[in-house]
Amino acid sequence: MSLLALHNVNKHFGPLKALSDLSFEINENEVVGLLGDNGAGKSTTVNMISGIHQPTSGHISVDGKKQVFTCRRDSAEAGVETIYQNTALVDSLSISRNIFLGRELTNRFGFMDLKRMREISMQVLESAVHISGIDSPDKLVGDLSGGQKQAVAIARAVFFKRRVLLLDEPTSALSVRETEALLNQVLKLKAEGVSSVLVTHNLYHAYQVCDRFVIMSHGTKVLDVDKANTTIEELTQHVVLT
Amino acid sequence: MTVTELHSVRAGTPRRSAAAWLHQILSMPAGAILLVFLVVQLACIIAGLAFPDDFRYLSPQNMGILMRSVPVLGCLALGAGILMIAGEFDLSIGSVYTLTAVIMAMLVGNGIDAFIAAPIGLMVGAVIGLGNGFLTLRFNLPSFIVTLGGLLFWRGAVLLINGAVQVRFDPNPVFNAMFGGTVLGINAAFIWFILLCLAFWALLHRHKLGNHIFATGGNRAAATAIGVNTSRIKMIAFAIAGFMAAFAGILATTRVGSVQPGQGAGLELQAIAACVIGGLSLRGGRGSILGVFLGVMLIFTITDVLLLMRAPGFYLDMFIATLIVVASIFNHGLDRRGGAL
Repeated sequence: MSLLALHNVNKHFGPLKALSDLSFEINENEVVGLLGDNGAGKSTTVNMISGIHQPTSGHISVDGKKQVFTCRRDSAEAGVETIYQNTALVDSLSISRNIFLGRELTNRFGFMDLKRMREISMQVLESAVHISGIDSPDKLVGDLSGGQKQAVAIARAVFFKRRVLLLDEPTSALSVRETEALLNQVLKLKAEGVSSVLVTHNLYHAYQVCDRFVIMSHGTKVLDVDKANTTIEELTQHVVLT
Repeated sequence: MTVTELHSVRAGTPRRSAAAWLHQILSMPAGAILLVFLVVQLACIIAGLAFPDDFRYLSPQNMGILMRSVPVLGCLALGAGILMIAGEFDLSIGSVYTLTAVIMAMLVGNGIDAFIAAPIGLMVGAVIGLGNGFLTLRFNLPSFIVTLGGLLFWRGAVLLINGAVQVRFDPNPVFNAMFGGTVLGINAAFIWFILLCLAFWALLHRHKLGNHIFATGGNRAAATAIGVNTSRIKMIAFAIAGFMAAFAGILATTRVGSVQPGQGAGLELQAIAACVIGGLSLRGGRGSILGVFLGVMLIFTITDVLLLMRAPGFYLDMFIATLIVVASIFNHGLDRRGGAL
């Protein structure tokens, strides 16, 4: 059974048809590459899965059950975490405050348990995420590099036990070394049971880690193929020519 | 390196550790302003001890004046500061301060108990704040413009409901003692201000609401994406700013025993100035309650010094203006600093 699936999803923005009859699924322990050129509808798809947009028709299901995501919190509760290009972090807050933003550990009066938040943040950063150079959970996120910021965002997803990570152009702002570390991280998470969707137009990065590829063009799916049954040339052709 | 080694290194290089200490202070949120404040205080105290007759900084009268003058601007600045950290401005707080004080004084004049009139004033302040927030968020306007409208509107409203005459405020003795009296020689209003600073510190730096306020001002899109209801947070911050303006009105009115319809003019700018001096970013998301407190204290210390030196009043404006610009330059350079650790 699929973990997350889109069923015949259409999305209109006024007269503009952004997605038409899009269906695909993400299974457990799977890394899916969602590929396509600019304007193919990838970002709309990501926003829909994370609850920012709602489908005009069609629906999304989690574990085979129909779900309606009206905001990001809904998708987070269903186990989906989106990590954006310019990751959704607040530069002027510390790492631990960012990780727990919106889900602070508090006593019953709403006061934060900063000590525990710090300890857990450091633990998660050390054990789950291997993009290093972060030595204190009190560092301001604004002082981190692009890769370290993504690491914080991933640490947040890992700690809150997300089942699907949506990584929207995760490598576009990263150095070569950080990119390698991130892609390894995706594989490591897969081994731990977290599926990922890599939304990118860098086919080489996708080819390195994905098990399956969904290629989009003009708002619809043009190819859905396992890695074993395709080559990078074929993928390139589909992205470029359709 | 072991601990003993570390100690010996530290002992061997006192100059470096002093530099490190300085660096640590400066990298703290509000560290720079703390340093300036301490230096100014030290200089004043030394001067006060050296010339007790000419520079009466340490005289009980002077301390009394300081403690009486700080809380009004202090309360305004606390409210304005929270709102600035949430990424918005309120220019109407000076007018709201006057309006709510006039309403409260008129109610008391009509025989209503001050303990009922004061909460009504506070409510009016909070509701006006909510109104500013609603207009700002609903129509997606800069709060600068909305509250500039508020400044003029409520200033006019004061004259409409009261005319240009002063209103006497004659509350019951208990109320007077609570907000205008002294406890162990310390001015009650000053105690209120300190308590409010502590409460705001707890709210902003230790409560999850504070975390959301920083996040809303620091990166609204990110905060929204993570599930923080940023509109609600901004509404709360606007309400707090209005509430604190009304509270400042209570303190000022109790102290003086009357309300002048023109008394709030310019206070909103002073409050924002105190926040800027205290290291709050004009773009939101950065700052601390300690900074606001020190910003207010510094403004009054400098005012006091200039008064004690019998300097003409225009020096004060020029001095504060310089301080604001220097503080902004400094904060801009340290823009990475001063967030919530």
